[in-house]
Parts: sequence; structure tokens; C-alpha cells
Amino acid sequence: MLAEFKHTLRRLRGPVVGWALGVALYGLLMALMFPSIKQIENLEEFMSLYPEEMTAFFENLYAMATPMGYLDVYFFAYMHLVIGILAISGGAGLLAADEERGILDLVLAHPVSRTGLFWGRFLGLAVALALILAAGWLSWVLPAGSVGFELTPFEILLPFLPLFAVLLFFAALALLLSMLVPAARSAGMLTGAVLVGNFLLIGLSNINDDLEPLMKFTPLYYYQGGLAVEGLEGSWLGGLLLAALLLAAVAWLLFLHRDIRVGGERSWVLPRIGRRFRLRQRG
Amino acid sequence: MGGSPAIEIRGLSKSYGRVQALRGVDLEVKCGEILGFLGPNGAGKTTTIRCLLDLIRPQAGTVRVLGIDPRKDPVAVRSRVGYLPGELNLEGNLTVEGVLRYFNDLRGRRVEWGYVRQLASRLDLNLSIPIKNLSKGNKQKVGLVQALMARPELLLLDEPTSGLDPLMQQEVYRLLREAQANGATVFFSSHVISEVEALADRVAIIREGVIVEEVEPGSLTDLSLRRIRVRFREPVDVKPLVELDGVSLVARDGREVTVQVEGEVDRLIKALAAFPVSDIQTQHLSLEEVFLAYYRVGEKEER
Repeated sequence: MLAEFKHTLRRLRGPVVGWALGVALYGLLMALMFPSIKQIENLEEFMSLYPEEMTAFFENLYAMATPMGYLDVYFFAYMHLVIGILAISGGAGLLAADEERGILDLVLAHPVSRTGLFWGRFLGLAVALALILAAGWLSWVLPAGSVGFELTPFEILLPFLPLFAVLLFFAALALLLSMLVPAARSAGMLTGAVLVGNFLLIGLSNINDDLEPLMKFTPLYYYQGGLAVEGLEGSWLGGLLLAALLLAAVAWLLFLHRDIRVGGERSWVLPRIGRRFRLRQRG
Repeated sequence: MGGSPAIEIRGLSKSYGRVQALRGVDLEVKCGEILGFLGPNGAGKTTTIRCLLDLIRPQAGTVRVLGIDPRKDPVAVRSRVGYLPGELNLEGNLTVEGVLRYFNDLRGRRVEWGYVRQLASRLDLNLSIPIKNLSKGNKQKVGLVQALMARPELLLLDEPTSGLDPLMQQEVYRLLREAQANGATVFFSSHVISEVEALADRVAIIREGVIVEEVEPGSLTDLSLRRIRVRFREPVDVKPLVELDGVSLVARDGREVTVQVEGEVDRLIKALAAFPVSDIQTQHLSLEEVFLAYYRVGEKEER
């Protein structure tokens, strides 16, 4: 498991450095821009010029002049979508991409268990995501004092925890789908659609109250974003992490009990299950 | 290990959806022998080998590798086995050394690196080149090095000389014989009769998912089918030729005659001495053609 964990981190070295630099640079720029936003007088009046639906969609626009509101609007409101690209592609390709390229066959012919391989890689992906978020955290913490960003490093850390949890959730969902659908890219596309769809629905539910009850069944409902600065919802964070682990555990069980392909994409699993069921009925 | 076989397969069946790849394979490989697994493409060679490593799961049958059930303890099996897949794919961004070090990590870093360098040198393989820049033959060499580098007790090699030039093929034969001399068992698949003949102590022949024969390599000559095209200087009556035992007429075109010869060609050559021959061309048939002819004969005889 350790060898696979290290190998996964080694493989993700390039993406981690690239993403960490990008996220850190963006965070730094946004942090440096905080004084100019803070100085805007009559922000509420200014915001009232925007359509009501827009201010409702992006919940915390009115709180933009506060460190918490600013952090939420300019970073946490959509960073799960941005870094979600890496989380989803990483999760979908964690095993399926190597299998499609015919690499997994030889790896699994070595003395490594499927369990060790699976969790070693999953842990590697989780650590890679955490490293990117750590760079993002530093980009806000380092200039905080000089730009009048009145939050402690710990307070800034708090919203990064739900961000990590939600990224891990979507990585695990992509991983699970990669065990069910024929190709890693299909799993990635499906998970991406779920993430974007959920993001839009959450925004729309701020406009249309009828959607609110439904949102409780979606993962992003439990994503606090920048609001976590004021106090972390432990149960939401724990729930997201637990759900991520459950999804990963189901993916692991599927991986344990199936054939490893020599290469290429496979056929749909669900129709095969259906055929097995029909055969059993006949038998 | 005692007297138990290195590989023991009983009634192994495996299907991919509606395609039945293995239909009750029974096979035993003794410790320390080199067994050639011969069969045409799609006969079930790769499927059998992949079942031995628990990469795929059979629907029926039992498998023991070095006395261990790979379903129950795949890691224990794989720690004692070196495997070369038939379709070798490696991470393109790593160098040869990077790939080999990764595989060494998976083996708990128990590979002696000096031995890796020695293997690479014998196979004329540069360790510092990225995998993506390697030719098919050089990739095959990486596959061979990774299979051999841990000095495994059992080598499972799927088409080991695929893509290698004849000189390198000879070097691979030497490496495998050395591994055998050091106590290893070698189980390799091939669809080249001459390769199996050159290397194996014993040969198992698989066709359509069933072991149809286990023979000594010497008897593979009996399986050998040749097609001989003879051009005569003048029109002749070829009846005395095609009436020879093991000779059959395939085609006749003017002064040119094509016959198929089963086994040795001695009788035909001696008979041809009486004819005005201007040219002879010999062609070995592919394994698929040999199998078709050989087992068609077998079926007729059974009837």
C-alpha cells in the first residue's frame, strides 16, 4: 500500500505543483485586492444595482466587505468547481485509466493486494488534494496581516476543511462510477455533470424556496464554503467525509470482485448484472 | 515445495460473456521444468496464465500455483512469480529505470540492482531512456527484465520473444535456461512451433479452450506441415508424387505443382529425383493452418 501511495503522489507531482501554484496565485491576488473592496462605501447600495436573482444566487454578496464574506465570494463559492476538475479526473482515472491503457495488468501481477493498491492510490489522491488546498490556505494566511484581513490562520483553515471533504466526495463518486461505466472519461463526465448540476441547483434554491427541501439530498447542501469561518458544522463535514469513504468502499468492493482487463474500455456492468439475473432465473 | 507441481490446473473454465475462453483446462507443470504452452491466437493461453495470477476469476475449476490457491492468497503467489504479459504496456512518462524501481518497490525492494543492470546489459537495454521513446522490441526487453529481476521461483511468460530479433531471442532462451538451472520453473506461451521446440522440455497444446495434447518437443516435427511448390522443366505426370504417404496435391498450374507434406520431406525429395525439376520452394504453414489440418486429420481418424 505504501509503495502505491508513494507512486500515486509521484505521478500526481506535476498536477499538484501546477494546481497548487495556480490556486495559490489566485488566492494571493484576491487577498491583495481585499483592501480595495473593503474601502468601497455604500456596498449595499452598489449591490442593489445587480438583479435580485443574481445576489440571491451568490448568497454572500452583501457580506463581501467582511473577511468572511470576501473569502466566501471570491474563493470558496466556486473553488470546489475549479479544483473539482482535478478531483474528478483523478478519481475517475485512479484505476480505470491504467486499466484502459493496459498498465494495471502488470502492476497487479506484482505482490500487491487489490486492497493495498486501491487504498494506496485513493490515499495518494487525497493527500494530493490536501497539498493543493494547503497552498491555497497559505496564499490567504501569508498576506492576511498586511492587507487587514482580520482572520487568524486557524479561522482561514476552517473553510478549507469542508472544501477538502466535498472534493474527496466527488473524487470518490468518480472512482465508484469508473467501476460501473465502461470508461474512465464517462465516469468523469457523469460526475462533473452531477457537480455542476448540484452547484446550479443550490444557487437556484436560493431564488426558489420550493427547491430547498430537495437540496438536502445533494452533497453541496452540506458544503459550508466561507461560512465555516464563523463556525464549522462538524456533522456536515463528518457526513461528507463519511459519504466519500462509503462511496470509495463500494468502489473498492467492486474492484475486489471483478476481472482486470488487459486493456481498452469495457461494456456496461448493469446490463451484465441483468443477464446474470436472467440466467439464474432460467437455471 | 516437496514433490508438488509448480502449477496444477483442474477443470478450469472461463467465459467472457458469451465467449467461452476456457472449457475445462487440466494441466500440470512440474517444478523445475520449462513447459511450452502452444496454441493458435485466441486458444486460451493468455486467459489461463491470467487465472494463475488472480487477474481474472474462472467460473469453474481449481488452480494451485506453487501449492497456493491464487484466489485465497494472490500476494503470496505473486511474490514468488515473475510475469510477462502478452500485451505489455508500461507508464510512458517513466524511464526504464523508473519503471523497474517502481516494480522493485512493489516487491518490497528485495531485487538486487546489480542483477538488473546485468540483465539490461545482456539484453542491450538502456535504463535511462523514457518508456515512451522505446520500440516494441525494447519494451519487450523491459518486460523480460522485470519478470526475471527478482529471480522468481516461477516464470509465467506470455509470448516472451514477441518483437525481438533472432539474436535477442537466442539470448532470452539462454536467460530462461539459466533461470531453470537455478531452480526456476518456466511456463511460457507461444504460437511459434520452432520456439517451443527450441526451449521447452515439454509442450502442452491448447485449442479452443481445451488442452488437446501434451507432448515432447521432438514430436512437434510430426505436427510440422510444409507446402512445397515444384516447377518442372516440362509437363509431367505427378501421380507418383501425390500418391506418396503424407503428400497431398494442393494446386496444379501448368508445369507448376503445389503439394502439402506432413512430417519429413525425405520421401518426396527422393521421388522428385526422377523428375526434371527446375525450382523448389518450401513454405512452413502457420500454426493455425497446422492445427486446422492436424486436428481435421485427428477427427477423421477418430471417426
